[in-house]
Amino acid sequence: MFSRTRKHIVGIGVTVAFAVAGAGSAHAVRDVLEVPALDTDLAAESLLLDVEHLEGRLVAVGERGHIVYSDDGGDSWTQAEVPVSTTLTGVDFPEGNADEGWAVGHSGVILHSSDGGETWEHQLDGREGIPKLVSLYEKRIEAKEAEIEEAEDEDRISDLEWELDDLVYTRDILQEDLERFGPWQPMLDVWFRDADYGIAVGAYNLIYRTEDGGETWQAVSDRIDNPNRFHLNEITQVDGGDLYIAGESGFVYRSTDDGRNWETIEPGYPGSFFGVVGTGDGGVLAYGLRGNVYRSENGDEWNSVDSATDRTLNAGDVNADGEVVIVANDGAVIYSSDGGQSFSEHVRPARHSYVGVTLVPDNGLVLVGEKGAVLTDRRGKGQEEDPLTAPEPN
Amino acid sequence: MSNWNSEGERRAPSAGAEPMIERLIFNNRPIILIVFLALTLFLGYNAVKIQPDASFERLIPLEHPYIVNMMEHREDLSNLGNFVRIAVENEDGTIFEKEYMETLEKITDEVFYLNGVNRSGLKSLWTPNVRWQEVTEEGFQGGTVIPDDYDGSQESLNQLRDNVLRSSAIGSLVADDFESSIIYAPLLEQNPETGEAIDYRAFSRQLEEKIRQQFEEENPSVDIHIVGFAKLVGDLIEGIESVALFALITIVLTTVFLFWYSRCIAGTAVPVLVSIVAVFWQMGILRLLGYGLDPYSVLVPFLVFAIGISHGVQVVNAMALEAAKGFDPLTSARLAFRSLYIPGIVALVSDAFGFLTLLFIEIDVIRDLAVAAGIGVAVIIITNLVLHPVIMSYIGITKGGVKHVQNHEGGADRKWRVMSYFAHPGVAPISLLIAVVGFGVAMYYKQDLKVGDLDQGAPELRPDSQYNQDNRFIVDNYSQSADVLVVMVETPPETCTQYPVLRSLDRLQWRLANTEGVDSTGSLADVSKIVTRALNEGNWNWYEISRNQTIINASIRQAPSGMINTDCSLTPLVAYLDDHKAETLRRVTNEVEDFADEYNNENHRFLLGAGNAGVEAATNEVIASAKNKMLLAVYGVVSLLCLISFRSVRAVLCVILPLGLTSIIAEALMAQAGIGIKVATLPVIALGVGIGVDYGIYMFSKLERFLKEGYPLQEAYFETLRSTGKAVAFTGITLALGVFTWMLSPIKFQADMGLLLTFMFLWNMVGAIWLMPALARFLLKPEKIAAKAGNRPQ
Repeated sequence: MFSRTRKHIVGIGVTVAFAVAGAGSAHAVRDVLEVPALDTDLAAESLLLDVEHLEGRLVAVGERGHIVYSDDGGDSWTQAEVPVSTTLTGVDFPEGNADEGWAVGHSGVILHSSDGGETWEHQLDGREGIPKLVSLYEKRIEAKEAEIEEAEDEDRISDLEWELDDLVYTRDILQEDLERFGPWQPMLDVWFRDADYGIAVGAYNLIYRTEDGGETWQAVSDRIDNPNRFHLNEITQVDGGDLYIAGESGFVYRSTDDGRNWETIEPGYPGSFFGVVGTGDGGVLAYGLRGNVYRSENGDEWNSVDSATDRTLNAGDVNADGEVVIVANDGAVIYSSDGGQSFSEHVRPARHSYVGVTLVPDNGLVLVGEKGAVLTDRRGKGQEEDPLTAPEPN
Repeated sequence: MSNWNSEGERRAPSAGAEPMIERLIFNNRPIILIVFLALTLFLGYNAVKIQPDASFERLIPLEHPYIVNMMEHREDLSNLGNFVRIAVENEDGTIFEKEYMETLEKITDEVFYLNGVNRSGLKSLWTPNVRWQEVTEEGFQGGTVIPDDYDGSQESLNQLRDNVLRSSAIGSLVADDFESSIIYAPLLEQNPETGEAIDYRAFSRQLEEKIRQQFEEENPSVDIHIVGFAKLVGDLIEGIESVALFALITIVLTTVFLFWYSRCIAGTAVPVLVSIVAVFWQMGILRLLGYGLDPYSVLVPFLVFAIGISHGVQVVNAMALEAAKGFDPLTSARLAFRSLYIPGIVALVSDAFGFLTLLFIEIDVIRDLAVAAGIGVAVIIITNLVLHPVIMSYIGITKGGVKHVQNHEGGADRKWRVMSYFAHPGVAPISLLIAVVGFGVAMYYKQDLKVGDLDQGAPELRPDSQYNQDNRFIVDNYSQSADVLVVMVETPPETCTQYPVLRSLDRLQWRLANTEGVDSTGSLADVSKIVTRALNEGNWNWYEISRNQTIINASIRQAPSGMINTDCSLTPLVAYLDDHKAETLRRVTNEVEDFADEYNNENHRFLLGAGNAGVEAATNEVIASAKNKMLLAVYGVVSLLCLISFRSVRAVLCVILPLGLTSIIAEALMAQAGIGIKVATLPVIALGVGIGVDYGIYMFSKLERFLKEGYPLQEAYFETLRSTGKAVAFTGITLALGVFTWMLSPIKFQADMGLLLTFMFLWNMVGAIWLMPALARFLLKPEKIAAKAGNRPQ
C-alpha cells in the first residue's frame, strides 16, 4: 500500500517535469547572437559607440546590434542588416578600402561586411573564441610544465610553479564562466591593416588576430605582457605605422610590427586610458579618465598635457593639419589645433556623453554617443537641438 | 411618471371603495407620523455622518485580467506608486539663488514633518540622499549635492551648481531649465505608530495650507506645484464636498419653480420637505449598509430629490383637483392616494429597471450607483405615497392653489392648440424629415466618439484645475510622464534578476520604445546597464546587460525598492506614455500581449497591467464591451414595458424612436464636446433612457385613451396636451434642474454627467411632445383604434 502510493507520487512528478520541460522548449528565448537587430528608426538616435569614416561614407555601431551608415556626411542615416542584437563597441575599415569592414562587440562577437557596411555577416563570437583562448592557455600550461621539468634552480621552480598556478586558474575560470554564463566577455575594438590582416581586442586581455580576412581567428593574448588581464580598451594605428592599445590602469601597449609583438608602456598616469590618437606629426596622445591626456613625440617619453577638462575622454581623431578632437562624457568636446599641445573645451548644452568621433570635410565633426549621431563644427558646436542650458549663477 | 390625476375625478368617496392599505394608512395617521419622524431622525443622523469615499478599488473593473494581476501583486508594487512631488519654482530666476534655496530648505523641513510622509525616502536638493558621484582612479568619489559648507555665498552656489550638473538630478529633481526643483515625498500607506490608513483629505489639506499657502506668501517669487495620487484623491474628496453647495442651489431653484407651478405654499413646502426626507433616508440607508459617498453615488441624492419632487407634485395636483370639488383635506388626500398608489408604484418600478441595467458593468462604483439609485426609488415609493398624503391630509391645499388649478383648466388652451399641430398631416412629415436629418447629422458627428478619457493629466479633474495645471508644469519641465503602464514580470522565487529575465525585459522595452505613444521605459535591465557601466569606470562600452550573473548581481545591489519584491519573484517594467487615449493604450497593450505570447515561459511571465494606464486600458475594455450589452438591455426593458402597457408594436415604436434619436444625438454631443465613453458617462445612457421613457409612456397612454374615445388624431393630441402637457414639462424641467448644477462641479466627470443628463432629460421631453405625435400620424390608424375600442362592451 505504502509503496504503491509512493510510486503514484513519483509518476505525477515525472509527468509534471515533462510538461514543464515541454513548455520550456516550445518557448525558449533566443539568444542575442541568434536574433537579428530590430529594424528601427531609432537606431541613429540611440547609443552609438564608435564611428568610422570611409571615402564618402560614415559607418557607426552601437547598442542592440545597431549599425547605421550615412552617405551625406552624417545628415541622414540608414540602418544596416545585422544578424545579431548584442551591443557593438567597435568598427574598422582598413585604410583605403571602403568595402571590407569589421565590427566587434559584446558576447565576443566579430562581424564582417564586404559591401561598405550595408550588410553584415557573423565571423566569430565568444562561444568559439573563448575555447580558442582556453586552448592557448592549455599550450602555455604544457610549455610551463615542460619548463618546470627542465628547471633546476629551486627558486626558479617556485616562481614557475607560481606562474603555472596562474595559468591554470585563468584557464579554469574561462572554461567555467563559459559553461555557466556563456560568452560574457566583450570585444572592445578592432583594427584592420588591409582586407586580410586585422586584430580585435577586448576585456580581460582578449586579443585575436586574423590573416585571412577573418576566415580564421587566432587567440594571441600571450603576446602582451598583461598578467593582471587588464582590459584592452582601444587599438589604433598612428602615422608612421606604430600600433597602440589603450589599456586599463594606466597601461599603453605599443607594437612596431603590426601587432605580432607588444611592449608595455606606462606614461605615468595610474588611471585608465580609453584611447590613443596621433598628433598628425608623428607624435601620439593617450587619453582617459577624468580629462587626463598624455603626449609623446616618439612613444617613449610621455608628458601630461592640460586638456582643459576634467571629464572622462572617450575617443579622439586627428587630421594631417594637426587638428585633434577628443570627445568626453557629459557633452564635453576638446579641440587642439597644435597637435595636442594645448586644448580648449566646449561643453555641448545637452550634456550627452560622446563615445566616438570622426573629422569630416568642411570643418565638421560627426560625434556619436549616448543619444546617437550628431553633426557639429570642428569645436563640437552646433545642432544644439536640446534647449537645455546650464546657466551661470547670478 | 404616468399621469393619473384625472382618475380620481370619476370616483365618489365611498367607504366600500377604500382599499385596505388606504384604511391602514389614514386610520393611523398619528402613529405613521411618529414612526416616520423617528425613522427620519435615525436615518438623518446616519445620513449626516456618511463619509466621502474615493476608494480606488471601487473605481476599477476588478474582474478584468489586468486588474486581477495588479491586485495579486499589489503588495509588491506598492513601493512604486504612492508619493507626492512638490515642484518649487523660482518665477524670477533660477534655483541657484540664495533666497530660493532658503525657501526650499524650509519647505523641505516642513514636508519632512508632515503626517504620512516616509521620511527616509524624502528627497530634495537639501536631503543627504541626493548625491553626486564621479569615477576616479581609485573608484567612486561623491558627496551631497548641497556642499557641506554651504553658506549661501556666490561661491557655494557655484559649487551647488557644479554638483547638480554631475548628479543625476536633472530631469527628476531639477527642472531641465533650472528654474524649479522638486521635493519628492514617498508616503506611508499606514501610520507606523497607530496603524491607521493615511487620511488623504487631511494630507491634501496640509499640503495646501502648510506648504502652498504658507510659502507662496512668505516668498512671493516662489510658485508651488503639487502632484501625486494622494493630492488627486484629496482634491476629489474636496470636490465631493462642494456638492453640498449644488444641493442647496438645486433645492432653492426647485422650490421656486414648484411654487410658480402650484401657487400654494403647502403644495410647495411639503413636496420639498418630503423629498429631502427621502434623500436623508436614502443616504442613511446607504451608510447603514456600509457605503460611503463616492464621486458617483453622491449624485444619486440629486436624482432622488428630483424624482421625489416630480412625483410629489402629482399628489399636490390630485389633491387640488379634489379640493376644488369641495372635499376637505383628509378626504382629498385619501382620494388622491387612492388614485395614485398603483400607477405611482408602477412608474417608479419602471424607473428602477433603467438603473438595474447598470449592473451589467463590472465596475463596483457603477454597481453601487445602481444600488444607491434603487434604494432611492424604493424610499420615494414610501415617502411620497405614504408620508406625503398623510401630511397633506392635515394641511390641505391653500385657496390660491385650488384657484390656480381651476383657472388653469381654460387658460393655456391656446398654447396647447398650437402644439397639437405636431400631429397635423402637414406638419408631421416635416417633423419626421427634421428628425431623419438630425439622425443623419448625429450619426456623422458620432463617428468621433471615443472610448476612455481624452484630456491630458488627471481625467477626474477639469483640464484647467489647479491639479492639472501643476501636472502640466511638471510634465513640461521634467522628464516625467503622468501616464504610466506597468508590466509585471513574474518569475519563480529568487530568479527575478537572472540574465534571461533582464534580457527579455530589455527586448520588450526596446519594442515598446519603437511603439508609437511610448515616451520612455524603465526596468531592472536599465539599472543593471547603468551600474555595470559605472562599475567599469563609467565606460559606455559596458552599457549592456552582462551574461555574467555575478556582474548582474553586483549591478542591482542598490536597485530602488519596488524593482524587486521580497522573494525576488516579481519585477516591474514601467512604460511612460505620451497620453492615455484609448488608441494609445490599445496599441501599447497589444504590443505587450504579442510579446508575452512569444516570450512567456516557465522562467518569466509578462503580465499586464498596473499603473494608471493599465487601469485605464482595462476600464476601457470593460466599458467598450459593456456598452452594447447595456444599451440592448435598457432598450429591451423599456420596449418590453411599453409592449406590455400598449400591446402594440406600433405604439412601442412611437415611444422608443424619439428616445433612440436622443441617445444618438447625445453621443454626437459627447463626441463633439470631447467627452469619451467612460465609467461616468455610460450610466448616463441608462439613466437617460430609463427615466426618459416615462414621458413617452405618459403621453402615449393619454393619447391612446382619447383615440379610443373616437377623437381624430390631432384632437386627441390636443386633449392629451391639455391634460398632461404641463405635468410633462414640469417633470422634465424638475429633473433637469436636479442635475444641471453638476455642470459646475470641479470634478470633470460629474460635470460631463450633468451636461449629458440635463440634455437627455430635456431632449427626451421634447422628443415626447414633438416627435411622438408625428410618428403617431404615420404609424397609428385612429379609426381602427376607435373601432376596436367601440367593439368592446362598455
